Amino acid sequence: MTKEVPKELFEKGFIDENQFRKLDAITSGKIVSVFYELRTLLYLGVMLFTTGAGILIYLNIGELGHLLSIVALSVITITCFWYAFKYAVDYTHEAVKAPNQYYDYVVLLGSLLFISVQGYIQFQYGFLTENLGFSTLLTAVFFFFVAYRFDHVGVLSLAITALASFWSISVSPQKWYSGNFFSGSHLYNTAIIFSTVLSGIAVALTRREIKTHFTFTYLNFCFLLFFVGSISGLFEGELWSIYLLAIYTGCVFAFYVARWKKSFLFLLYAFVAAYIATTYFLARTIFADAIEIWFLYSIASCGGFIYFIIKYRNYFKQDD
Amino acid sequence: MTSAYNYTWVYNLAVAKEAKKWWKHGYIEQVQLTAIQQSYQAPFYHPNFTIRILLFIAALFASSGITGFFTLMVADTGRDFISFACIVYGVASFFILEKLFIAKNHFKSGVTEAILYHSCGFVIGGIGGISDFNNVHGILFVCLMVFSFAAFRYLDLLSTMAAILALAGIIFFEFYSLGGIFQQIIPFVFIIVFTPLYFITKSLQKKRELRLWSNNLLIIESISLILIYVAGNYLVVRELSVAMLSLTLQEGEDIPFAFIFYGLTVLIPIAYMYFGIKKKDLVLIRVSLAVIAFSAFTFKYYFSLGHPEITLTIAGIILIGIAIGVMHYLKTPRSGFTRENLLSEKWGSMNVQAFMISQTMGGNQPGVDQSSMPGEGNFGGGGSTNDF
Repeated sequence: MTKEVPKELFEKGFIDENQFRKLDAITSGKIVSVFYELRTLLYLGVMLFTTGAGILIYLNIGELGHLLSIVALSVITITCFWYAFKYAVDYTHEAVKAPNQYYDYVVLLGSLLFISVQGYIQFQYGFLTENLGFSTLLTAVFFFFVAYRFDHVGVLSLAITALASFWSISVSPQKWYSGNFFSGSHLYNTAIIFSTVLSGIAVALTRREIKTHFTFTYLNFCFLLFFVGSISGLFEGELWSIYLLAIYTGCVFAFYVARWKKSFLFLLYAFVAAYIATTYFLARTIFADAIEIWFLYSIASCGGFIYFIIKYRNYFKQDD
Repeated sequence: MTSAYNYTWVYNLAVAKEAKKWWKHGYIEQVQLTAIQQSYQAPFYHPNFTIRILLFIAALFASSGITGFFTLMVADTGRDFISFACIVYGVASFFILEKLFIAKNHFKSGVTEAILYHSCGFVIGGIGGISDFNNVHGILFVCLMVFSFAAFRYLDLLSTMAAILALAGIIFFEFYSLGGIFQQIIPFVFIIVFTPLYFITKSLQKKRELRLWSNNLLIIESISLILIYVAGNYLVVRELSVAMLSLTLQEGEDIPFAFIFYGLTVLIPIAYMYFGIKKKDLVLIRVSLAVIAFSAFTFKYYFSLGHPEITLTIAGIILIGIAIGVMHYLKTPRSGFTRENLLSEKWGSMNVQAFMISQTMGGNQPGVDQSSMPGEGNFGGGGSTNDF
């Protein structure tokens, strides 16, 4: 639709000739960027390689040639971090632009291989088997260091995942849809406390303006964990009123964060969680058997919500 | 018939969005952006993406409540009456969409999509109900018509996709029900139909008066390319032949014309890539990357040596190698290609990438509660869903 826009804007005098030439080359396809294609290839490559290498080691534990591959992987891991340190930009609290195109992927590759190597050492030599939790914590700490030192949001999300799994909370898609999100009993309480504490830390860090571009990733994990945790608690039944309150508190916080950060993904989570919670609440209290009321309820609640968002549209303007 | 949306406003909105992207990449100044936004105004209600999803979900809940009411009213009548009521209800929803929302300047606001799919669903379901859901041909034709209407009038991309898939479904079932030799030529018919469709779409994209539909045309373009490939893919043809044409293959036997499909599986991705690079066509390049992966999978599926882990590792090394090689090659822009990010895409943000990373690779830390079984931890990555 916008192929001839630069020409039109140039003829109307909105942009000067120099700008027109640059922009026209892009929109008319004279110059084509394969930035995202290359990134995707690199990302897929890193993913396949680390996955393959991880399985390879695991399948061949204790065999000849296996020591060789573990040494090779360790060497690659160390090389990755040596490269990362060598070209690292000095640490600042702000976002840092990577020194070159490959840098972020080298850090990512190193971190992912680190998981494989660490996992191998754990199983092979057993000295960490007793303290599996401890080694997960160690990984988390290391990843947090890497994320902050080399300013890598991807490794930050790995760090958060590792930290969560130290508390036995698993945040992976397999767990999302297989339903056993919290494999142990009352793990949802752990999840609620974990996410509350972590989001508190994230907000505190943001207030001090330390890596404010990390806030979204922190809060995204926290909100997902918090809402899934408290809804699980709600459906457990006994203390549902407490979890109901927790969900509403979380929603208020999400609303506040959405306004503050001008990012409304959290509002989406909050809406879905609050809707489930309110419906559950109403089902347990007011209307148990009048089916017509359910339809009225869904029309009134959602219609009202839509009206609210459209009416206060300026409230929901995003800085993008 | 034309689009339900005001042509100038849709165009203005697109220009303003484009200018904002330029401004973010520093091609134009803030003053220029403001000037452009001032003179390219659109009174549309078109909130940001998240709010649109939110509104979409809420509108779906709300409309299912309304549906529930009507269901109670007609629940005791006969099946024909219910089907008829569905059609009326669906058509009425189209009117509500236009009069209550689009007339109030909603433009793809999430609410409009929800009501649109709701309407399409009831019209198609109603007509299907009248014909007892037995008449596959009829239902597919209705799907094609309703979705094409929705795609054309409301510029909707998912409807576009549904319409073209309905078209593919029609071709498939028509030839399938003819039987005999007609079943075997289905792949060639697909190629014969969708290749011209691709070129027609390409030429339509050059027409100025159709620029409102440029995104819809882009969808048709990419899906045509994918369908052409899929029709010639050996794995698809073989498995569908076995499943639907009750073809039984003995050990050492192969499907009819196997060599053609082997050839197409190899040649089509290469052709896409070649013409993509030659014509600097990103759609072709992207589709070719996806279908190359599928071709590799096809050959691994029938000629596997076992050891998927070695394949993964080597594939990873190859991909990293290619990516680094091309990045290196494009250090300075060559023949119109550059490795620099000229204009950012919606899904390119680091936050989305981070979430992807954690969800594809992060969920495999050995959990503490599994520690009773030292052999069970699955470290390694996205492949850990397999049982080892």
